[in-house]
Amino acid sequence: MSEHALKPALFGGPSMRENLFLGMTFRAYLKSLLTPANAIAAAILLAGLPTIAYRFWKGLGAVTNLSQTNAWGLWVAFDVVCGVALAAGGYTVACAVYIFGQKALRPILRPAILTGFLGYALVLFGLVVDLGQPWRLPYQFFLTPGTTSVMYEVGWCVFLYLMVLGLEFAPAALEWLGLVKLRRLLGSLTIGIIVIGVTLSTLHQSSLGAFFLMTPGKLHPLWYSPFLPVFFFVSSLAAGIGMVVVESALSHRAFRDRLDPAASVDLDRITLSLAKGGAIVLFAYFFIRLQGLVASGRFDLLATGWGAWYLFEMLGFILLPSFVFAFAARRKSARLARIAGVLTVLGVILNRFNVSLIAFNWNVPDRYVPSAGEVITSLTIVTIGVLIFRWIVNRMPVVNEHPDWRGAH
Amino acid sequence: MNEYELLSPYTAKALEYVLALSYLLLFIPFWRFVQGEAVPVHALGFGWFQVPNGVHLHVGHAWARPEGGAVEVGLDDFAHKLVGPLETVRLPEIGAPVRQGQKAFTIVAGGQPLDVLSPVDGHVVAVNEAVRAHPADALRDPYGAGWLMKVEPRWLTGNLKNLFSGDAARRFLDAAAGKLAQRLTPQLGVVLQDGGTPVHGIARALDEDHWDELARQFLEGK
Repeated sequence: MSEHALKPALFGGPSMRENLFLGMTFRAYLKSLLTPANAIAAAILLAGLPTIAYRFWKGLGAVTNLSQTNAWGLWVAFDVVCGVALAAGGYTVACAVYIFGQKALRPILRPAILTGFLGYALVLFGLVVDLGQPWRLPYQFFLTPGTTSVMYEVGWCVFLYLMVLGLEFAPAALEWLGLVKLRRLLGSLTIGIIVIGVTLSTLHQSSLGAFFLMTPGKLHPLWYSPFLPVFFFVSSLAAGIGMVVVESALSHRAFRDRLDPAASVDLDRITLSLAKGGAIVLFAYFFIRLQGLVASGRFDLLATGWGAWYLFEMLGFILLPSFVFAFAARRKSARLARIAGVLTVLGVILNRFNVSLIAFNWNVPDRYVPSAGEVITSLTIVTIGVLIFRWIVNRMPVVNEHPDWRGAH
Repeated sequence: MNEYELLSPYTAKALEYVLALSYLLLFIPFWRFVQGEAVPVHALGFGWFQVPNGVHLHVGHAWARPEGGAVEVGLDDFAHKLVGPLETVRLPEIGAPVRQGQKAFTIVAGGQPLDVLSPVDGHVVAVNEAVRAHPADALRDPYGAGWLMKVEPRWLTGNLKNLFSGDAARRFLDAAAGKLAQRLTPQLGVVLQDGGTPVHGIARALDEDHWDELARQFLEGK
C-alpha cells in the first residue's frame, strides 16, 4: 500500500485511482472504510453536522446554553483557546529543528506541522461556528479594524499563521502531486517561512492569555494574573511537546504500514529527547505560575475549594508531568515519557478550561454548563480533524519521506 | 475586601526574590537529574586523545609531520587507543610509492590485520626498525619514537591542505571521540573519564565480536 502512495501523483503520476483510492478500485476502497472506528466517526458526524447547520439557521440560543452573562462557552474554551495551545506542536518542533538545529527531530516535523495546520484550520472553523455569519470574518481586518483590541492582533495572527502553516505543509502536498518546480521554490523559502511562523505563534499564543487580562473581575484571582500572557506562551511550549509525544506515538502505531522500512526512525529516542525538553519547560512553567501567586498575594485562597482545584492543576498537571518526563529521560523509558505527554496535554486543557470556563465567571449565580449540542459540535470538529489527518497521511509523504526528496528542506 | 489586593511591595518583592532564587537553586539538580548518567561526549575529547601542534592528521587516523625534506608518518593517539597494543606492523619496502588516501601499511592487533591509509603522496625512504621489532612500544609515544615510516613527499603543499592540524586536528579527534561515545556503555565511560586508567583497545571493549569492523571504519576515514 505504501509503495503505491509514494509514487508521484495526480499530475504525471500513474493514475488517480492509486492516489485517491490507495490503489484499490472505488468499490474496494469503500469496503475498506467499513471499520468500527469509522462507524463511530460517522455517528458523530451524523449528529454533529446537522447541529452545526441548525446553529447557523436558528442562532446560538437554539443550540447553546450561552447567555448575556456567559457569552463564552465550550466553543471558545475548547475549540479556540485549547485548540490554539494544542496546535503548538507545529511551531515547537519547527523551531527546534530549523532554529535550534535539532536535526534528530526531523522525522516528526511533518506530522507536527500537519497537526498544527489542521488544528488552526479547525480553530478557525470553531470560531466561525461560534461567531456566525462567516462572510463577515474579513470585517475585523478591513472594514472595522479594532486596532486597540487584543482580538484584532489574535485575528491577524491566526489568519496569517494559518497561511504560513499551509506553506510549511505545502511541500508534502506538492511532492504528492509531483509539482517539482513549485516544490523546489518552496524549499528555498523554508527558513523564512519557519521564522515568520515561530514569530506569529509567539505573538498570538501569548495574546490569547492577554485576552483575559481585561476580565479581572470575572476570572478567579488564583488564575487571574498580569503574567497571563507569559503563562499562556510558556504552557503552549509544553502543550506542543506533549502533543508531539502523544501524536507521534499514535500515528506511529496507526500508520505502521506506511513507514519506510529502509529509513527506520527511532521514535523512542526522539521521544526521550522531547521528554528532556518537556521536563525543563514544565519545571520552569511551575515556578512562573508560582510567581503569579506570589504577585497576587492571595495565599489565603489556597485554603478554599478553589484553592484545592488550583493546587490540583499545579501539582497534578504541571509538577507531576515535569517529574514524570524527568524520570522518563533519566531511565530512558519512552513509555513513561508518553504517559507524561498525556498528562501534559490534559494539564494544558485543564488550564485553558480553568481560565476560560471553570474559574471564569466563578462568582455569578448563573453558572454555565455546556449543552449537548455544544459538546457534539466540539466532538464533530475534532472528528473532522482526525479524518482529514488520516486522509492526508495515507496519501502524502508525511510519516515517511518521498524517495525523490529525501533530506530536502 | 478587594479580591485583587496586592501584598505590600516589600513583602511581595522579598517573596519574588526568594522564589526566583529557589527556582535557580532547584533547577541545577533538576537539570542534572534530567540529563541522566550519559557519558558527556566532550569529556572524551580534549585531554584523552592527544595531538601536538605541528602534526597533521589524515581522516584515516595516520599522521604526517614534515621533518627536513622528508615527512614522518605514524598512527595517531586515537587509532592506537582504539585498536590496542600492536602485535605486528607490516611496513612497505624502502622506495615503495605511497599515495594519499590509499593503503600504506598494515597493523595487526588482537589477531586482526587492519590497513592504514597514507596521509601523503611520495615514496618511502625509511622505516622505523625499532617499532617493527617491538610494535607494542609505539603506543607510548605515538607522535615521537612511535613514528612508523618516512616518506619523501611528491606534492606536500597540496597534501597538507587535506589534513587537519592544530585546533582542527583536536576537533577532528573530538568528533571521533563523539562517534565512539555513542556506543559507550556507562561502565566503560567511568574507566575513560577517571583519567588514570588508560584503556587500550576501546574497540574491543565496546564490541568483542565485531571490533575489527568498527576499527576499520575509523581507519578508512568513515
